[in-house]
Amino acid sequence: MGIKHWAYRYQAGGIALLVLLGGCSAEIESVREEAPVPEDIERVARDPGRQGDIFTGTSAGTPATFNPLVAEDATSTEAIARLLDGLTRFDPVKEEVVPGLAKSWDVSEDSKTFTFHLRRGVRWSDGEPFTADDVVFTFKAIYDERYPNRKQMEFRAGGEPFEVEKIDDHTVRFTTAEIFAPFLLYIGTEILPRHKLIDAFADGTLMRQWTISTASRTPEQIVGTGPFRIRSFRPAQRMIYEPNPHYWRADREDARLPYVDFFIERFVQDQNASMVAFASGQSDHQGITPDQAGWIRRNAERHDYTVHDRGPSTSTSFIWFNQNPGTNENGTPFVEPHKLEWFTNQTFRQAVSYGIDRQGLIDGVIFGRGEPLWSSVSPANTQWYNPDVRTYPYDPEKALALLEEVGFRKENGRLYDEHGNRVTFSLITNEDNRLRANMATVFMENMKDLGIEVRLRLIDFSNFVNRISESFNYEAGLLGFTGGRDPHGGTSIYSSGGRLHVWHPNQPEPATEWEARIDELMQKQLRTLDEEERREYFNEVQSIMSEQLPLIYLITPNIHEGLRNRWRNIDPPDMGTLIWNLDEIWAEQRLLP
Amino acid sequence: MERPLGLAVLILLGCFYLVALFADFISPYTPPDQSLQKTYHPPTALFWENGRLHVQRYELADPDDMVYRKIEGEGAPVRFFARGHDYRLMGLIPTDRHLFLVDEPDRIYLLGSDETGRDNFSRLLYGARISLSIGLVGIAIIMVFGFLAGGLAGYFGGIWDNLTMRFIELVMAVPGLYLLLVLRGTFPDELSPGQTFFLIVIILSFLAWGGTARIIRGMTLSLRNRQFVMAAEVLGQSPLKIVGKHILPNVFSYLVVAASLSIPAFILGEAALSFLGLGIQEPSASWGLMLSQAQDMKVFMLNFWWLLLPGAAIFVTVIAFNVLGDVFRDIVDPKQKFLNR
Repeated sequence: MGIKHWAYRYQAGGIALLVLLGGCSAEIESVREEAPVPEDIERVARDPGRQGDIFTGTSAGTPATFNPLVAEDATSTEAIARLLDGLTRFDPVKEEVVPGLAKSWDVSEDSKTFTFHLRRGVRWSDGEPFTADDVVFTFKAIYDERYPNRKQMEFRAGGEPFEVEKIDDHTVRFTTAEIFAPFLLYIGTEILPRHKLIDAFADGTLMRQWTISTASRTPEQIVGTGPFRIRSFRPAQRMIYEPNPHYWRADREDARLPYVDFFIERFVQDQNASMVAFASGQSDHQGITPDQAGWIRRNAERHDYTVHDRGPSTSTSFIWFNQNPGTNENGTPFVEPHKLEWFTNQTFRQAVSYGIDRQGLIDGVIFGRGEPLWSSVSPANTQWYNPDVRTYPYDPEKALALLEEVGFRKENGRLYDEHGNRVTFSLITNEDNRLRANMATVFMENMKDLGIEVRLRLIDFSNFVNRISESFNYEAGLLGFTGGRDPHGGTSIYSSGGRLHVWHPNQPEPATEWEARIDELMQKQLRTLDEEERREYFNEVQSIMSEQLPLIYLITPNIHEGLRNRWRNIDPPDMGTLIWNLDEIWAEQRLLP
Repeated sequence: MERPLGLAVLILLGCFYLVALFADFISPYTPPDQSLQKTYHPPTALFWENGRLHVQRYELADPDDMVYRKIEGEGAPVRFFARGHDYRLMGLIPTDRHLFLVDEPDRIYLLGSDETGRDNFSRLLYGARISLSIGLVGIAIIMVFGFLAGGLAGYFGGIWDNLTMRFIELVMAVPGLYLLLVLRGTFPDELSPGQTFFLIVIILSFLAWGGTARIIRGMTLSLRNRQFVMAAEVLGQSPLKIVGKHILPNVFSYLVVAASLSIPAFILGEAALSFLGLGIQEPSASWGLMLSQAQDMKVFMLNFWWLLLPGAAIFVTVIAFNVLGDVFRDIVDPKQKFLNR
């Protein structure tokens, strides 16, 4: 079911297209609007391209909302990022924060006050001017107690919200209570249009704005400063974006970005369907799991695309033991005392790590397309990855030797501790992730070689989360995180008081010396804007984690991305997607004449 | 012997059950036994050399697509009745003899290997234990309860009939899938995946006996007004004896047919539940679970056809049971019997 280009004709000012979407026979006709170029437009450095053509993608999920305060899932946040921009942007190629809606900023001597100079002449996609009032409004909405959202807690320095102050229509000043290292990265959050949302904000219905029904009935209500606006949205079918005529970026010849006339995203049932659509030439771009890359590559010539090996992904996977010494309301310990003794033993954890055949897992299960993981930061995150952490290559003999050192002994293929208890534990993980289930069964077999009996329980995700964060009724778990860029994003994992400090969460006081040291380092790295210094602190955090092994890291699969060869201005970053600059890419070879 | 088709499927099913019973003897490996160097291995070829059966040796020719190539002339001898992993034959006799084995590091994959290099053949045999016994456990519960409740309600009638039927309606109104979803979360970790699954089947059967009970009740209602039942009553036989001796034999033919026709429903049900993640779990094996793991584009695109064999096994078994049920019906058509009497 492809997209057929039915007819085309020229009109004054732009191209009009009649596009027949296979099956749903929705004809769309567009005249590309061009608004006057604003005073402070950003002219991109890349070579100018040609406007026109359509970029098609498929997605296995449908956005759940277009409200940035509500969005939690990746599909929704990706869609919102195409519609709304922030004061700053992150350039993944340069790996630095670059100007967004703010053309420049000044930092005060004490690194706590930031003054942003907004671009003049920028307009929202409905033509209303963008001013400092929008910025002030956005932060008022984020911090409003009536609207609980994820950013409310994230955007705090030393527990205090950022102070936002309008100096004039094009100047905003932010003050943080303490130095907040990732401030410029975080301040790139989407700015909301005050003129559209102020009424909803006042009457308490802000969270109910910009739902998927808004997008399907009145897409023009969702206005933004981003490269695209919604042309039409049909849940579970497809979504069509068109260029925002007031977008604040243009090329050297003053042609408005984005170059493409349409960005169409088709919603399909699952990732399998999505990859089949790409392999049969029905879409322009596709993220590909490592085990599927081989066969998708076979069609590359016929449909003129390339499967790019993008190196290790940022996602991590790890096994951990429940080290929570507490008891439940009946006074029963979460973990039986003799098991807690093993789990809190550093040598035991190191022996387990030596016993895991990570390379075998990579070669066998994901066709050699992956990397073993030794730290919380994947090698993909070149900015923060510490290559000198302690590694645990597969060595079952060394593992056994380590175990014997601390009193364990193996008899008749079974491992016993010094009190004669058989070493056995159950491992829980969620059932809907195939790769994770494979990692778990490989781990089971590896542990069997050490004489440890592991019982695997696959449970549904909400039950899993409940057991690891509420009832603490488990012995070992297997989980993964999608890695963020900045170390501060991992605070709740590293800090002993954190919610995601899964092996022993929400500690009032750090239970061990090394946890106290990590707490200290995480505070230190946050209190300086000097990246070199931050890296030093964070490298030590990674070293301690790899030495103490509260989380035994497993592997990270390589990311593959398929992209049609006709697209230009592709500039692959070390980390993140190939098409991060969707507004700058253009098609050399037209599907349309 | 007048029905060769019936005999054929009976022999086929008999073989299946026999193989399932001796799964640990016949299969060379245990279901969780992995070999990460030999994942997605195609079925190994066998050849005859120096008077011994050999298993062909392969090398990984293309790790990108997991393509294996034969190493010409190289093989490992297959050893019959060799010593392998320990098990208890039929759950009783401890032994370590297996029908056939090859020496490590070579492996014999009669039906290929899966994504972690586990032997598909062994998993299929062990899976048969679960997939084939599920139906028997299920119908045993359904038939016993259906017969008792339906038969007694039909015979006594009146208030008992009314109470039983209302109770059955109550039970039938419980939505099975949702009940399972809730129950799955409450099972303790100590239960093995097999135990959990049998528990699920037992619960499902307790919810499903209502339909059978109703049919039996209807048949009993019509039977109890027949002369031979009345005669027995006049002669002063106890109700239990009447139900057992006069009514049961008349509905028995129905039971046999219904049972053989509802076993496939349980086998398919197991497949469906495992497919949804509610049934048997890793690292145990069942046909439904194995099939759900083959639900992946690369299985088709890279031609790992052997991973679809559990589907063929389900297909054959279900057809066989249906044919068997039809044959039984031909033999003991209850309607015919009533008319001839």
